[in-house]
Amino acid sequence: MTYPIQRIRNFAIIAHVDHGKSTLADRMLQETRLVDARMMRDQYLDRMDIERERGITIKAQAVRMPYVTRDGHEYLLNLIDTPGHVDFSYEVSRALNACEGAILLVDAVQGIQAQTLANLYAAIEAGLEVIPVLNKIDLPAARSEQVAAEIAALLGGRPDDVLAVSAKTGQGVTAVLERVVEAVPAPTGDPGSPPRGLIFDSVYDPYRGVVVYVRVVDGVLRPQLDVRLLATGFHHAIDELGVISPDPKPIDALGPGEVGYLTAAIKQVDQARVGDTVTDHARPAAAPLPGYREPTPMVFCGLYPLDADDFPQLRDALGKLRLNDASFSFEPETSTALGFGFRCGFLGLLHMEIVSERLDREFDIPLVTTAPNVAYEVHLRDAGGAAGAGGGRGSPERPPPGDQPTVVRVSNPSELPPANRVDHILEPVVDAVILCPSEHVGAVMQLCERRRGELAKMEYLSPERVELRYRLPLAEIIFDFFDRLKSSTRGYATLDYEPAGWQRADLVRVDILLHGAPVDAFSAIVPRAKAHEYGKAMVGKLRELIPRQLFDVPVQAAIGGKIIARDTIKARRKDVVAKCYGGDVTRKRKLLEKQKAGKKRMKSVGAVEIPQEAFVAALSVGE
Amino acid sequence: MSEAGVYLHVPFCAHRCHYCDFNTYTGLDDLIGRYVAGLGADLAAVAGAGPRAVAPPGADVDDRWPTFTSVFVGGGTPTLLPPAELAGVLRRVRDLLPVAADAEVTVEANPETVTVAALAELVDAGLTRLSMGAQSFASHVLAFLGRRHDPERPLRAVADARSAGVSQVSLDLIYGAPAEAGADWAATLDTAVAAGLDHVSAYALTLEPTTGYAARVRAGTAAAPDDEVAGARMAVADARLTAAGFERYEISNWARPGRACRHNLGYWRGGNWLGVGAGAHGHWAGRRWWSLRSPARYADAALAGRTTTSGAEVLDDDARRCERLMMGLRLSEGVARTAVEPIDEAGAGAAVRAGLLDDDGRRLRLTAAGRPLAGGVILRLLAA
Repeated sequence: MTYPIQRIRNFAIIAHVDHGKSTLADRMLQETRLVDARMMRDQYLDRMDIERERGITIKAQAVRMPYVTRDGHEYLLNLIDTPGHVDFSYEVSRALNACEGAILLVDAVQGIQAQTLANLYAAIEAGLEVIPVLNKIDLPAARSEQVAAEIAALLGGRPDDVLAVSAKTGQGVTAVLERVVEAVPAPTGDPGSPPRGLIFDSVYDPYRGVVVYVRVVDGVLRPQLDVRLLATGFHHAIDELGVISPDPKPIDALGPGEVGYLTAAIKQVDQARVGDTVTDHARPAAAPLPGYREPTPMVFCGLYPLDADDFPQLRDALGKLRLNDASFSFEPETSTALGFGFRCGFLGLLHMEIVSERLDREFDIPLVTTAPNVAYEVHLRDAGGAAGAGGGRGSPERPPPGDQPTVVRVSNPSELPPANRVDHILEPVVDAVILCPSEHVGAVMQLCERRRGELAKMEYLSPERVELRYRLPLAEIIFDFFDRLKSSTRGYATLDYEPAGWQRADLVRVDILLHGAPVDAFSAIVPRAKAHEYGKAMVGKLRELIPRQLFDVPVQAAIGGKIIARDTIKARRKDVVAKCYGGDVTRKRKLLEKQKAGKKRMKSVGAVEIPQEAFVAALSVGE
Repeated sequence: MSEAGVYLHVPFCAHRCHYCDFNTYTGLDDLIGRYVAGLGADLAAVAGAGPRAVAPPGADVDDRWPTFTSVFVGGGTPTLLPPAELAGVLRRVRDLLPVAADAEVTVEANPETVTVAALAELVDAGLTRLSMGAQSFASHVLAFLGRRHDPERPLRAVADARSAGVSQVSLDLIYGAPAEAGADWAATLDTAVAAGLDHVSAYALTLEPTTGYAARVRAGTAAAPDDEVAGARMAVADARLTAAGFERYEISNWARPGRACRHNLGYWRGGNWLGVGAGAHGHWAGRRWWSLRSPARYADAALAGRTTTSGAEVLDDDARRCERLMMGLRLSEGVARTAVEPIDEAGAGAAVRAGLLDDDGRRLRLTAAGRPLAGGVILRLLAA
């Protein structure tokens, strides 16, 4: 039995971090009596510890809530939760595509934020019915009227169309559910066609394999049906078909418009990617659902075990993480400074932080992390005749020799081919949306210009709030851009961005030499115009961060062998215990053993001991 | 190991110096009689129990004491004891333990507690070596250190020791006090050289957390010692003392040929010694132990026939190697590779290339440049 399609309402909640999305979802679970107050815990739907601690939702999830309206009709509400961060904008877009409506939830104190705006635009683009809701109206600092006016101006409605709730107390939540039933269109779909389901999330479960979250568009999915995933070609019979309500419950059919999950002996999430289409292996749909995209890592860094013996453990740990995170990539690489490690790719900085934190928390392998960088598209001058002339470490993909110039993708700065082989370099750019109070517009524009931004649009949402749109090189925002943005607007600015392709840039590689030897892990690709400034700042920073050694250590920055900045870490003058006699031995030995444990946290590169902080020194080389 | 020593601790001082964190007490003069009695009783108990009682359980050691080649009475200020009492302690050691006829017998002293008559009485009881704290010959440096004697007093004490027939005399010096100028230190070294000593110990002033000096640094009324300055002063000490015919045999110790302190060499070479007295440490065949720190509790336990041991550890192979490296590299003779291996060979190579370490494949030795950085070099050599 499938659910009558005209009584299904699929919707998402669009909100900024901390604007109360999870709390509103909690209240809906209670309002629809899926979870009683006794069983309720905060942020019921969030799964991972890290999510709950950071107050963000990394993985989308769907919950099925039967709801009886005030006039006594039963409807099926599917709340599809969306990730709350810019790094996961593609996952957000897929989750929105599984819906017909969206609640725009805005904090009545803080007002609308850039990220909300970006997701709102995505919802409008996906043709969703938007229901504006103000949250936290019970707070004394709430500016309900102003914020409602701002929202109305944005959506082209009237301020009194904006619903007002307190997700904390539950006030107004019933009205929101009623509005969802009234305003969100029922899904449409053909139960007789070959099945087509949109994968909007997939989660690794150590006991059942990958759990695939799917919105059925056409046809009917049933247990035992041999399903095929169109993009990856994977196929297997469905082991379990179910819905989350609010805990997993098996079901015997999912028809058009319905939302649920399936398992089918899928070993890793890579085989069931977000955006892919589920169909019948025997009677496949003619065309996949639109919008599928391969996950593309945007930000890269090197991860190296501090202790070379931990390399196999690190490989296993990364493999395990990849089981439930298809958007994260890793490849072995070798660094002359750091030994054997991995070049890892992430959707963005937060994604990188989450992965390193999980590595640390779940696997406890002491790591050296190199400063993050973006990938570059390097167009070479020669067509392959001079291939192997040097510089091309790694394994750039080369098309067969011909007249076309070779293009290599460089995700590790130390692998940038020598300047004489490079014709030009493309770097990834993003379109950024920044919302800020109008009094800080000057500071924000200054920041964006320093970061090579190009202003695309500037619009006043209200006399107090401005929307700025910039095209910015991704490399300029992966370090400290967000922090700078916050500090130059007293914390009020918000940022969202999406990839906007590639752009030609005049870039050079700056190498760092310690004690005369280049340390590849310190190499960075920077704009030629900023190279000297960068080299000087890095050298100064390293002098601060690397403790004095037993001998003088020259620190130099160089471009293609030419030194552009230098400094010296002066040797220690004295490091010895003056008195060490019979009564001192035990105490001094214990002290030494403690120091030895500290030494393990340093990486020896050549003769120089370098603390982990130094490897991310570039992060703090700001203006 | 043919050498063995006896260390006796006298935990009394007339006055506490600002920088000192040793186990020593002022104002406990009333306790002295009882303490000396306790020390004697403890010595008798230790001597009577034999080597197996101080060695690790089950260790392969002789039933009988070896011949002891050194006795060292340290403190505190041992010469705060009445001369007859101190002489009695020295005699008692010889009565209870087999001490070699030519053993080195050292007593530490403060210059202001020394007289020819008292020293003659100690020489009569076997004293061969006197070690005194002069610290500096600049009066403002002595004031900073909280020393009560005037700069000339140690020189008179050296002369008194010679008159009394003490065969070896050593002075302790301290460099790197914030009140000290470079010229003060140079003059102090020259004065020490002119005094006709057998041995000089020169220590960098060190900030010990429990001292009055540390409290003043925390309060902002005194400066902490500067490593740059200390490194430079150490180099000056080495140059002047070496030019005057002293040999540097340890990080902080210089001696005329053949006058190195035999007792202290035992510590650095990993030898065996008995430690008797409040807070004294001993070592025998890989076991270290230490006595109750409080003089009163120590004396009471010893007189009541209870154990005076407060703690002990039996060293495993790693700990022994670590100690041999830590102590042995302090000596100019260095340490045998076989005694400390495995070491961090990459670290050793780096130290050699940096000119801090000599490695002939059999022994490891610090170079002149390596001595001021011994702590860092030792850390580099420790295997992970």
